[in-house]
Amino acid sequence: MGYYVDRNVKMTWWERSYIPEILRGMMITSRHFFRNLFGFVPFFLGKKKDREIFTVYYPEETMQFPIAYRGRPVLALNEDNLPNCVACGLCEIACPAYCIDIIPGENSGKQNKVERYPVKFSIDYAICIFCGFCEEACPEEAIFMSDQYDITMLDRKKMKYEMDQLLVPVADLKDRMDFCRKMYGKWNY
Amino acid sequence: MWIDLAITMVKIIFILSITVGFFAPILTWVERKQSAIMQDRIGANRADIMGFTALGLFHIMADGLKMFTKEDFIPQGANKALHTLSPIVALIPAIATFAVVPFGGQYTLWGKEVSMVISDLDVGILFVFAISSIATYGYVVAGWSSNNNWSLLGAMRTASQMISYEVAMGLTIIGVLMVFGSMQLTEIGAAQETGYWGFILQPFGFLMFFTAAIAENKRVPFDAPEAESELVAGYFTEYSGLKFGMFFMAEFIEMVTIGAIMTILFFGAWHIPFLTTADLLSMFDFLGDDFSNLVVMFLHIGVFFGKVTFFIFVQMIIRWTLPRFRYDQIMKLGWKVLLPASLLNVVGTGIWILFF
Repeated sequence: MGYYVDRNVKMTWWERSYIPEILRGMMITSRHFFRNLFGFVPFFLGKKKDREIFTVYYPEETMQFPIAYRGRPVLALNEDNLPNCVACGLCEIACPAYCIDIIPGENSGKQNKVERYPVKFSIDYAICIFCGFCEEACPEEAIFMSDQYDITMLDRKKMKYEMDQLLVPVADLKDRMDFCRKMYGKWNY
Repeated sequence: MWIDLAITMVKIIFILSITVGFFAPILTWVERKQSAIMQDRIGANRADIMGFTALGLFHIMADGLKMFTKEDFIPQGANKALHTLSPIVALIPAIATFAVVPFGGQYTLWGKEVSMVISDLDVGILFVFAISSIATYGYVVAGWSSNNNWSLLGAMRTASQMISYEVAMGLTIIGVLMVFGSMQLTEIGAAQETGYWGFILQPFGFLMFFTAAIAENKRVPFDAPEAESELVAGYFTEYSGLKFGMFFMAEFIEMVTIGAIMTILFFGAWHIPFLTTADLLSMFDFLGDDFSNLVVMFLHIGVFFGKVTFFIFVQMIIRWTLPRFRYDQIMKLGWKVLLPASLLNVVGTGIWILFF
Protein backbone atom coordinates (compact mmCIF):
# COMPACT_ATOMS: atom_id res chain seq x y z
CA MET A 1 0.00 0.00 0.00
CA GLY A 2 2.07 2.88 -1.24
CA TYR A 3 1.11 6.31 -0.03
CA TYR A 4 2.51 9.35 -1.78
CA VAL A 5 2.78 12.62 0.09
CA ASP A 6 2.73 15.58 -2.22
CA ARG A 7 5.24 17.94 -0.67
CA ASN A 8 5.04 20.49 -3.45
CA VAL A 9 1.57 21.76 -2.59
CA LYS A 10 0.93 25.03 -4.35
CA MET A 11 -0.41 27.43 -1.76
CA THR A 12 -2.58 30.31 -2.79
CA TRP A 13 -1.39 33.85 -2.30
CA TRP A 14 -3.85 34.18 0.59
CA GLU A 15 -2.28 31.21 2.39
CA ARG A 16 1.26 32.32 1.63
CA SER A 17 0.74 35.67 3.34
CA TYR A 18 0.46 33.76 6.69
CA ILE A 19 -1.44 36.44 8.58
CA PRO A 20 -5.03 35.39 7.73
CA GLU A 21 -4.27 31.75 8.46
CA ILE A 22 -2.61 32.66 11.78
CA LEU A 23 -5.66 34.74 12.68
CA ARG A 24 -7.89 31.78 11.79
CA GLY A 25 -5.91 29.51 14.11
CA MET A 26 -6.06 32.10 16.87
CA MET A 27 -9.81 32.40 16.39
CA ILE A 28 -10.20 28.66 16.95
CA THR A 29 -8.09 28.59 20.12
CA SER A 30 -9.73 31.74 21.50
CA ARG A 31 -13.16 30.30 20.78
CA HIS A 32 -12.29 27.22 22.83
CA PHE A 33 -10.82 29.42 25.55
CA PHE A 34 -13.85 31.67 25.94
CA ARG A 35 -16.34 28.86 25.57
CA ASN A 36 -14.67 26.92 28.36
CA LEU A 37 -14.07 30.03 30.47
CA PHE A 38 -17.69 31.17 30.37
CA GLY A 39 -19.07 27.70 29.78
CA PHE A 40 -20.36 27.42 33.31
CA VAL A 41 -22.94 30.18 32.80
CA PRO A 42 -25.23 28.33 30.35
CA PHE A 43 -24.49 25.19 32.31
CA PHE A 44 -26.07 26.67 35.44
CA LEU A 45 -29.05 27.85 33.41
CA GLY A 46 -29.80 24.21 32.58
CA LYS A 47 -28.32 24.20 29.12
CA LYS A 48 -26.07 21.34 28.15
CA LYS A 49 -22.48 22.36 27.57
CA ASP A 50 -21.30 22.29 23.95
CA ARG A 51 -18.20 20.42 24.80
CA GLU A 52 -17.37 18.93 28.14
CA ILE A 53 -13.90 18.92 29.59
CA PHE A 54 -13.11 15.24 29.61
CA THR A 55 -10.62 15.30 32.46
CA VAL A 56 -11.43 12.98 35.39
CA TYR A 57 -10.24 14.09 38.83
CA TYR A 58 -8.61 10.73 39.40
CA PRO A 59 -8.39 9.87 43.10
CA GLU A 60 -11.72 11.55 43.89
CA GLU A 61 -13.55 10.39 40.78
CA THR A 62 -13.01 7.18 38.88
CA MET A 63 -14.11 6.18 35.45
CA GLN A 64 -16.95 3.71 34.83
CA PHE A 65 -15.34 0.99 32.79
CA PRO A 66 -17.17 -1.17 30.26
CA ILE A 67 -18.00 -4.67 31.51
CA ALA A 68 -15.41 -6.26 29.23
CA TYR A 69 -12.64 -4.43 31.14
CA ARG A 70 -10.15 -6.76 32.83
CA GLY A 71 -9.13 -5.45 36.23
CA ARG A 72 -7.70 -7.52 39.08
CA PRO A 73 -9.01 -11.10 39.31
CA VAL A 74 -11.16 -11.81 42.41
CA LEU A 75 -12.77 -14.91 43.90
CA ALA A 76 -16.55 -15.25 44.03
CA LEU A 77 -18.22 -15.81 47.39
CA ASN A 78 -21.53 -17.58 46.92
CA GLU A 79 -24.84 -17.12 48.78
CA ASP A 80 -23.86 -19.66 51.46
CA ASN A 81 -20.84 -17.47 52.32
CA LEU A 82 -18.46 -20.08 50.90
CA PRO A 83 -16.07 -19.69 47.96
CA ASN A 84 -17.22 -21.22 44.70
CA CYS A 85 -13.71 -22.53 44.19
CA VAL A 86 -13.17 -26.30 44.24
CA ALA A 87 -9.37 -26.11 44.07
CA CYS A 88 -9.16 -27.95 40.74
CA GLY A 89 -6.02 -26.01 39.83
CA LEU A 90 -7.05 -25.19 36.26
CA CYS A 91 -6.51 -21.46 36.74
CA GLU A 92 -3.10 -22.18 38.24
CA ILE A 93 -2.18 -24.13 35.10
CA ALA A 94 -3.75 -21.60 32.73
CA CYS A 95 -1.93 -18.69 34.30
CA PRO A 96 0.92 -17.64 31.96
CA ALA A 97 2.66 -15.62 34.70
CA TYR A 98 2.35 -18.23 37.48
CA CYS A 99 0.90 -15.75 39.90
CA ILE A 100 -1.84 -18.01 41.31
CA ASP A 101 -0.93 -20.33 44.15
CA ILE A 102 -3.44 -22.89 45.44
CA ILE A 103 -3.08 -25.42 48.26
CA PRO A 104 -6.07 -27.80 47.99
CA GLY A 105 -7.60 -29.73 50.88
CA GLU A 106 -10.02 -32.64 51.18
CA ASN A 107 -13.49 -31.67 52.23
CA SER A 108 -14.50 -32.96 55.66
CA GLY A 109 -18.12 -32.04 55.01
CA LYS A 110 -18.37 -28.52 56.34
CA GLN A 111 -16.10 -26.47 54.06
CA ASN A 112 -17.89 -27.06 50.80
CA LYS A 113 -20.51 -29.15 49.04
CA VAL A 114 -17.99 -30.98 46.88
CA GLU A 115 -14.90 -33.06 47.54
CA ARG A 116 -12.13 -30.45 47.52
CA TYR A 117 -11.76 -26.93 48.79
CA PRO A 118 -8.86 -24.41 48.70
CA VAL A 119 -6.98 -24.34 51.98
CA LYS A 120 -4.91 -21.47 50.67
CA PHE A 121 -5.48 -19.37 47.56
CA SER A 122 -3.24 -16.44 46.75
CA ILE A 123 -2.75 -14.19 43.74
CA ASP A 124 0.37 -12.05 43.49
CA TYR A 125 -0.71 -8.86 41.72
CA ALA A 126 2.90 -7.83 41.28
CA ILE A 127 3.21 -10.76 38.85
CA CYS A 128 -0.32 -10.92 37.41
CA ILE A 129 -0.62 -9.71 33.83
CA PHE A 130 -4.41 -9.28 33.83
CA CYS A 131 -4.88 -11.60 30.85
CA GLY A 132 -8.12 -13.17 32.06
CA PHE A 133 -7.08 -16.78 31.27
CA CYS A 134 -7.93 -17.88 34.82
CA GLU A 135 -11.49 -16.67 34.40
CA GLU A 136 -11.74 -18.48 31.08
CA ALA A 137 -10.33 -21.70 32.50
CA CYS A 138 -12.53 -21.81 35.59
CA PRO A 139 -15.27 -24.48 35.31
CA GLU A 140 -17.04 -23.43 38.53
CA GLU A 141 -17.52 -19.67 37.96
CA ALA A 142 -15.29 -19.02 40.94
CA ILE A 143 -12.76 -16.50 39.64
CA PHE A 144 -13.65 -13.26 37.82
CA MET A 145 -11.94 -10.16 36.55
CA SER A 146 -13.19 -7.11 38.45
CA ASP A 147 -12.97 -3.48 37.34
CA GLN A 148 -10.40 -2.47 39.97
CA TYR A 149 -7.05 -1.51 38.48
CA ASP A 150 -5.35 0.72 41.06
CA ILE A 151 -3.44 -1.82 43.13
CA THR A 152 -0.69 0.39 44.52
CA MET A 153 1.31 0.02 47.69
CA LEU A 154 4.76 0.78 49.02
CA ASP A 155 5.72 -2.82 49.81
CA ARG A 156 5.89 -5.36 47.01
CA LYS A 157 5.26 -8.25 49.40
CA LYS A 158 1.90 -6.83 50.33
CA MET A 159 0.75 -7.23 46.74
CA LYS A 160 0.33 -10.94 47.30
CA TYR A 161 -3.34 -11.17 48.28
CA GLU A 162 -4.57 -14.10 50.38
CA MET A 163 -7.99 -15.70 50.08
CA ASP A 164 -9.81 -13.50 52.63
CA GLN A 165 -8.68 -10.41 50.68
CA LEU A 166 -9.69 -11.92 47.36
CA LEU A 167 -13.25 -12.95 48.18
CA VAL A 168 -16.00 -10.75 46.78
CA PRO A 169 -19.75 -11.48 47.19
CA VAL A 170 -21.18 -12.99 44.05
CA ALA A 171 -23.88 -10.33 43.90
CA ASP A 172 -21.25 -7.71 43.04
CA LEU A 173 -19.98 -9.80 40.14
CA LYS A 174 -23.32 -10.44 38.51
CA ASP A 175 -22.74 -8.31 35.39
CA ARG A 176 -19.34 -9.82 34.74
CA MET A 177 -20.78 -13.31 35.27
CA ASP A 178 -23.46 -12.70 32.66
CA PHE A 179 -20.87 -11.34 30.29
CA CYS A 180 -18.65 -14.39 30.74
CA ARG A 181 -21.53 -16.81 30.22
CA LYS A 182 -22.42 -15.02 27.01
CA MET A 183 -18.89 -14.75 25.66
CA TYR A 184 -17.51 -18.17 26.60
CA GLY A 185 -20.81 -19.88 25.84
CA LYS A 186 -20.52 -18.58 22.32
CA TRP A 187 -17.26 -20.42 21.73
CA ASN A 188 -18.59 -23.87 22.83
CA TYR A 189 -15.72 -25.37 24.74
CA MET B 1 15.48 67.61 45.97
CA TRP B 2 14.51 65.10 48.64
CA ILE B 3 10.93 65.07 47.43
CA ASP B 4 12.13 64.24 43.87
CA LEU B 5 14.21 61.39 45.24
CA ALA B 6 11.25 60.09 47.21
CA ILE B 7 8.96 60.24 44.16
CA THR B 8 11.53 58.36 42.06
CA MET B 9 11.92 55.73 44.75
CA VAL B 10 8.17 55.25 44.89
CA LYS B 11 8.08 54.84 41.10
CA ILE B 12 10.93 52.32 41.14
CA ILE B 13 9.26 50.29 43.89
CA PHE B 14 5.97 50.41 41.99
CA ILE B 15 7.54 49.15 38.75
CA LEU B 16 9.49 46.43 40.52
CA SER B 17 6.48 45.24 42.44
CA ILE B 18 4.30 45.20 39.34
CA THR B 19 6.80 43.34 37.14
CA VAL B 20 8.81 41.09 39.46
CA GLY B 21 6.19 40.96 42.16
CA PHE B 22 3.00 40.64 40.18
CA PHE B 23 3.36 39.85 36.47
CA ALA B 24 6.26 37.37 36.63
CA PRO B 25 4.69 35.01 39.19
CA ILE B 26 1.13 35.38 37.97
CA LEU B 27 2.14 34.64 34.38
CA THR B 28 3.51 31.22 35.34
CA TRP B 29 0.00 30.41 36.53
CA VAL B 30 -1.71 32.15 33.59
CA GLU B 31 0.35 30.24 31.06
CA ARG B 32 -0.58 26.87 32.55
CA LYS B 33 -4.20 27.69 33.17
CA GLN B 34 -4.87 29.50 29.89
CA SER B 35 -3.27 26.78 27.80
CA ALA B 36 -5.30 24.20 29.70
CA ILE B 37 -8.60 25.96 29.17
CA MET B 38 -7.73 26.52 25.52
CA GLN B 39 -7.08 22.82 25.02
CA ASP B 40 -10.22 21.64 26.87
CA ARG B 41 -8.25 20.60 29.93
CA ILE B 42 -8.48 21.77 33.54
CA GLY B 43 -4.94 22.82 34.39
CA ALA B 44 -3.12 23.35 37.64
CA ASN B 45 -5.50 22.94 40.57
CA ARG B 46 -3.90 20.54 43.03
CA ALA B 47 -1.82 22.71 45.38
CA ASP B 48 -4.06 23.58 48.30
CA ILE B 49 -3.96 25.15 51.74
CA MET B 50 -6.43 23.46 54.08
CA GLY B 51 -8.34 22.05 51.12
CA PHE B 52 -8.73 25.46 49.51
CA THR B 53 -7.18 25.63 46.02
CA ALA B 54 -8.05 29.15 44.75
CA LEU B 55 -8.12 28.02 41.10
CA GLY B 56 -4.57 26.70 41.43
CA LEU B 57 -3.08 30.05 42.44
CA PHE B 58 -1.13 28.35 45.25
CA HIS B 59 0.94 26.65 42.56
CA ILE B 60 2.87 29.92 42.33
CA MET B 61 3.92 29.61 45.97
CA ALA B 62 4.60 25.90 45.56
CA ASP B 63 6.80 26.56 42.52
CA GLY B 64 8.67 29.32 44.32
CA LEU B 65 9.27 27.12 47.35
CA LYS B 66 10.44 24.29 45.13
CA MET B 67 12.90 26.52 43.29
CA PHE B 68 14.31 27.91 46.54
CA THR B 69 14.89 24.52 48.11
CA LYS B 70 16.09 22.63 45.05
CA GLU B 71 19.72 21.64 44.64
CA ASP B 72 21.71 24.20 42.70
CA PHE B 73 23.52 21.90 40.32
CA ILE B 74 26.62 22.91 38.36
CA PRO B 75 27.71 20.21 35.91
CA GLN B 76 31.22 18.83 35.84
CA GLY B 77 33.43 20.71 33.42
CA ALA B 78 31.24 23.78 33.44
CA ASN B 79 32.70 27.22 33.90
CA LYS B 80 31.43 27.90 37.41
CA ALA B 81 31.73 31.67 37.42
CA LEU B 82 30.04 32.21 34.05
CA HIS B 83 27.47 29.52 34.76
CA THR B 84 26.44 31.46 37.87
CA LEU B 85 26.68 34.87 36.23
CA SER B 86 24.64 34.27 33.08
CA PRO B 87 21.13 34.04 34.62
CA ILE B 88 21.78 37.39 36.29
CA VAL B 89 22.93 38.88 32.98
CA ALA B 90 19.76 37.56 31.38
CA LEU B 91 17.41 38.82 34.09
CA ILE B 92 18.75 42.30 34.91
CA PRO B 93 18.28 43.85 31.40
CA ALA B 94 14.71 42.55 31.31
CA ILE B 95 13.94 44.53 34.47
CA ALA B 96 16.15 47.49 33.56
CA THR B 97 14.25 48.30 30.36
CA PHE B 98 11.36 49.45 32.51
CA ALA B 99 13.43 52.47 33.59
CA VAL B 100 12.36 54.37 30.47
CA VAL B 101 8.90 52.89 29.98
CA PRO B 102 6.26 55.50 30.80
CA PHE B 103 3.14 54.10 32.43
CA GLY B 104 1.25 57.39 32.59
CA GLY B 105 1.41 61.01 31.51
CA GLN B 106 2.34 64.16 33.42
CA TYR B 107 0.20 65.34 36.31
CA THR B 108 0.25 68.35 38.59
CA LEU B 109 -0.14 67.11 42.14
CA TRP B 110 -0.08 69.73 44.90
CA GLY B 111 2.00 72.13 42.85
CA LYS B 112 4.46 69.49 41.72
CA GLU B 113 4.90 68.16 38.19
CA VAL B 114 4.94 64.37 38.42
CA SER B 115 5.83 62.33 35.35
CA MET B 116 4.95 58.65 35.37
CA VAL B 117 8.33 57.45 34.13
CA ILE B 118 11.42 56.67 36.17
CA SER B 119 13.93 58.19 33.75
CA ASP B 120 12.70 60.26 30.81
CA LEU B 121 15.56 59.74 28.38
CA ASP B 122 15.64 61.53 25.02
CA VAL B 123 16.70 58.29 23.33
CA GLY B 124 14.16 56.18 25.21
CA ILE B 125 13.43 53.57 22.56
CA LEU B 126 17.12 53.14 21.73
CA PHE B 127 17.84 52.57 25.41
CA VAL B 128 15.27 49.78 25.44
CA PHE B 129 16.89 48.07 22.44
CA ALA B 130 20.41 48.60 23.73
CA ILE B 131 19.67 47.15 27.16
CA SER B 132 17.57 44.26 25.97
CA SER B 133 20.26 43.14 23.52
CA ILE B 134 22.67 42.76 26.46
CA ALA B 135 20.45 39.89 27.61
CA THR B 136 21.63 37.95 24.52
CA TYR B 137 25.04 37.62 26.21
CA GLY B 138 23.33 36.01 29.18
CA TYR B 139 21.72 33.36 27.01
CA VAL B 140 24.79 32.70 24.87
CA VAL B 141 27.14 32.48 27.85
CA ALA B 142 24.65 30.25 29.68
CA GLY B 143 24.65 27.79 26.80
CA TRP B 144 28.38 27.89 26.32
CA SER B 145 29.41 27.60 29.97
CA SER B 146 27.15 24.59 30.68
CA ASN B 147 29.51 22.14 28.92
CA ASN B 148 26.56 20.45 27.23
CA ASN B 149 25.99 19.91 23.52
CA TRP B 150 22.30 20.75 23.62
CA SER B 151 23.01 23.95 25.52
CA LEU B 152 25.69 24.98 23.06
CA LEU B 153 23.38 24.37 20.10
CA GLY B 154 20.69 26.38 21.84
CA ALA B 155 23.14 29.19 22.48
CA MET B 156 24.21 29.27 18.82
CA ARG B 157 20.62 29.42 17.71
CA THR B 158 19.92 32.16 20.26
CA ALA B 159 22.80 34.24 18.99
CA SER B 160 21.85 33.98 15.32
CA GLN B 161 18.14 34.48 15.92
CA MET B 162 18.55 37.46 18.24
CA ILE B 163 21.00 39.21 15.90
CA SER B 164 18.81 38.61 12.85
CA TYR B 165 15.65 39.87 14.45
CA GLU B 166 17.24 42.81 16.24
CA VAL B 167 17.93 44.33 12.81
CA ALA B 168 14.36 43.85 11.64
CA MET B 169 12.96 45.07 14.95
CA GLY B 170 15.03 48.25 14.84
CA LEU B 171 13.97 49.00 11.28
CA THR B 172 10.25 48.46 11.93
CA ILE B 173 10.41 51.05 14.69
CA ILE B 174 11.79 53.73 12.36
CA GLY B 175 8.43 54.21 10.67
CA VAL B 176 6.86 55.02 14.03
CA LEU B 177 9.68 57.38 14.93
CA MET B 178 9.22 59.18 11.60
CA VAL B 179 5.48 59.55 12.12
CA PHE B 180 5.73 60.91 15.66
CA GLY B 181 9.03 62.71 15.15
CA SER B 182 10.57 61.70 18.45
CA MET B 183 12.47 58.92 20.14
CA GLN B 184 11.30 59.85 23.60
CA LEU B 185 8.74 57.30 24.73
CA THR B 186 6.80 59.86 26.76
CA GLU B 187 6.47 62.13 23.71
CA ILE B 188 5.40 59.25 21.47
CA GLY B 189 2.81 58.33 24.07
CA ALA B 190 1.57 61.90 24.43
CA ALA B 191 1.35 62.33 20.63
CA GLN B 192 -1.32 59.62 20.42
CA GLU B 193 -3.75 61.46 22.67
CA THR B 194 -6.04 62.52 19.81
CA GLY B 195 -6.92 58.97 18.80
CA TYR B 196 -4.49 58.55 15.88
CA TRP B 197 -2.82 55.55 17.42
CA GLY B 198 0.33 54.02 16.03
CA PHE B 199 -1.30 50.97 14.52
CA ILE B 200 -3.61 53.16 12.43
CA LEU B 201 -0.67 55.16 11.06
CA GLN B 202 1.68 52.16 10.84
CA PRO B 203 -0.32 48.94 10.37
CA PHE B 204 2.48 47.00 8.66
CA GLY B 205 5.01 48.35 11.10
CA PHE B 206 2.86 47.02 13.93
CA LEU B 207 2.58 43.51 12.47
CA MET B 208 6.30 43.30 11.72
CA PHE B 209 7.26 44.68 15.12
CA PHE B 210 5.00 42.17 16.85
CA THR B 211 6.57 39.29 14.89
CA ALA B 212 10.11 40.46 15.55
CA ALA B 213 9.37 41.07 19.23
CA ILE B 214 8.03 37.55 19.74
CA ALA B 215 11.12 36.24 17.97
CA GLU B 216 13.31 38.33 20.28
CA ASN B 217 11.57 36.83 23.28
CA LYS B 218 12.28 33.29 21.96
CA ARG B 219 8.74 32.07 22.50
CA VAL B 220 6.83 29.66 20.29
CA PRO B 221 6.59 29.93 17.11
CA PHE B 222 10.21 31.16 17.32
CA ASP B 223 11.42 28.96 20.18
CA ALA B 224 14.20 27.20 18.24
CA PRO B 225 16.80 28.14 20.95
CA GLU B 226 14.97 26.17 23.63
CA ALA B 227 13.06 23.71 21.45
CA GLU B 228 11.99 20.99 23.88
CA SER B 229 11.57 18.31 21.25
CA GLU B 230 14.98 18.95 19.68
CA LEU B 231 17.34 20.36 22.32
CA VAL B 232 15.90 19.20 25.69
CA ALA B 233 15.65 22.78 26.96
CA GLY B 234 18.25 24.58 24.86
CA TYR B 235 20.54 26.99 26.64
CA PHE B 236 19.14 26.37 30.15
CA THR B 237 19.26 22.57 30.06
CA GLU B 238 21.86 22.44 32.85
CA TYR B 239 20.18 24.93 35.15
CA SER B 240 18.17 24.06 38.21
CA GLY B 241 16.68 25.76 41.22
CA LEU B 242 16.58 29.51 41.39
CA LYS B 243 18.91 30.03 38.41
CA PHE B 244 16.39 28.25 36.22
CA GLY B 245 13.73 30.39 37.85
CA MET B 246 15.64 33.52 36.87
CA PHE B 247 15.67 32.49 33.20
CA PHE B 248 11.97 31.83 33.44
CA MET B 249 11.32 35.15 35.14
CA ALA B 250 13.37 36.95 32.48
CA GLU B 251 11.18 35.43 29.78
CA PHE B 252 7.97 36.51 31.48
CA ILE B 253 9.23 40.01 32.25
CA GLU B 254 10.29 40.35 28.62
CA MET B 255 6.73 39.49 27.67
CA VAL B 256 5.56 42.38 29.84
CA THR B 257 8.20 44.63 28.28
CA ILE B 258 7.06 43.76 24.77
CA GLY B 259 3.48 44.40 25.77
CA ALA B 260 4.44 47.77 27.26
CA ILE B 261 6.55 48.89 24.28
CA MET B 262 3.82 47.82 21.87
CA THR B 263 1.21 49.69 23.89
CA ILE B 264 3.28 52.86 23.88
CA LEU B 265 4.31 52.77 20.23
CA PHE B 266 1.17 51.43 18.58
CA PHE B 267 -1.80 51.39 20.95
CA GLY B 268 -2.09 54.84 22.38
CA ALA B 269 0.00 54.32 25.52
CA TRP B 270 -2.05 55.33 28.58
CA HIS B 271 -4.82 57.10 26.65
CA ILE B 272 -8.45 56.08 26.52
CA PRO B 273 -9.70 56.37 22.90
CA PHE B 274 -11.47 59.69 22.14
CA LEU B 275 -10.95 60.97 25.68
CA THR B 276 -8.08 63.42 26.03
CA THR B 277 -6.52 64.18 29.40
CA ALA B 278 -8.25 67.60 29.42
CA ASP B 279 -11.63 65.88 28.92
CA LEU B 280 -10.97 63.55 31.81
CA LEU B 281 -9.81 66.40 34.04
CA SER B 282 -12.99 68.35 33.36
CA MET B 283 -15.00 65.19 34.01
CA PHE B 284 -13.53 64.86 37.53
CA ASP B 285 -13.58 68.64 38.10
CA PHE B 286 -15.88 68.40 41.12
CA LEU B 287 -13.10 66.72 43.14
CA GLY B 288 -10.88 69.77 43.11
CA ASP B 289 -7.72 70.36 41.13
CA ASP B 290 -5.31 68.00 42.92
CA PHE B 291 -7.66 65.10 43.48
CA SER B 292 -8.95 65.14 39.90
CA ASN B 293 -5.33 64.91 38.74
CA LEU B 294 -4.81 62.01 41.11
CA VAL B 295 -7.89 60.16 39.86
CA VAL B 296 -6.86 60.68 36.23
CA MET B 297 -3.37 59.45 37.07
CA PHE B 298 -4.65 56.20 38.55
CA LEU B 299 -7.08 55.81 35.65
CA HIS B 300 -4.26 56.21 33.13
CA ILE B 301 -2.02 53.75 34.95
CA GLY B 302 -4.90 51.26 35.06
CA VAL B 303 -5.61 51.73 31.34
CA PHE B 304 -1.95 51.29 30.49
CA PHE B 305 -1.58 48.05 32.41
CA GLY B 306 -4.91 46.86 31.05
CA LYS B 307 -3.56 47.24 27.53
CA VAL B 308 -0.33 45.50 28.53
CA THR B 309 -2.36 42.62 29.95
CA PHE B 310 -4.28 42.37 26.70
CA PHE B 311 -1.05 42.08 24.72
CA ILE B 312 0.27 39.44 27.10
CA PHE B 313 -2.98 37.55 26.51
CA VAL B 314 -2.49 37.80 22.73
CA GLN B 315 1.09 36.57 23.06
CA MET B 316 -0.12 33.62 25.12
CA ILE B 317 -2.73 32.75 22.50
CA ILE B 318 -0.10 32.88 19.76
CA ARG B 319 2.23 30.73 21.86
CA TRP B 320 -0.40 28.00 22.30
CA THR B 321 -1.76 28.18 18.75
CA LEU B 322 1.17 28.07 16.35
CA PRO B 323 3.71 25.28 15.85
CA ARG B 324 7.43 25.97 15.90
CA PHE B 325 9.13 27.30 12.77
CA ARG B 326 12.00 25.32 11.36
CA TYR B 327 15.38 26.97 11.82
CA ASP B 328 15.81 27.84 8.14
CA GLN B 329 12.29 29.23 8.05
CA ILE B 330 13.11 31.53 10.95
CA MET B 331 16.17 32.84 9.15
CA LYS B 332 14.27 33.19 5.89
CA LEU B 333 11.49 35.14 7.59
CA GLY B 334 13.97 37.39 9.35
CA TRP B 335 16.30 38.25 6.49
CA LYS B 336 14.22 37.74 3.34
CA VAL B 337 10.81 38.94 4.47
CA LEU B 338 10.98 41.21 7.52
CA LEU B 339 14.12 43.12 6.60
CA PRO B 340 13.08 44.17 3.05
CA ALA B 341 9.50 44.72 4.17
CA SER B 342 10.56 47.00 7.00
CA LEU B 343 12.86 48.94 4.65
CA LEU B 344 9.95 49.34 2.22
CA ASN B 345 7.85 50.47 5.16
CA VAL B 346 10.41 53.16 5.98
CA VAL B 347 10.49 54.36 2.35
CA GLY B 348 6.70 54.32 2.11
CA THR B 349 6.32 56.26 5.34
CA GLY B 350 8.86 58.80 4.09
CA ILE B 351 6.93 59.32 0.83
CA TRP B 352 3.68 59.59 2.75
CA ILE B 353 5.12 62.21 5.12
CA LEU B 354 6.65 64.12 2.20
CA PHE B 355 3.47 64.44 0.15
CA PHE B 356 0.65 64.59 2.71
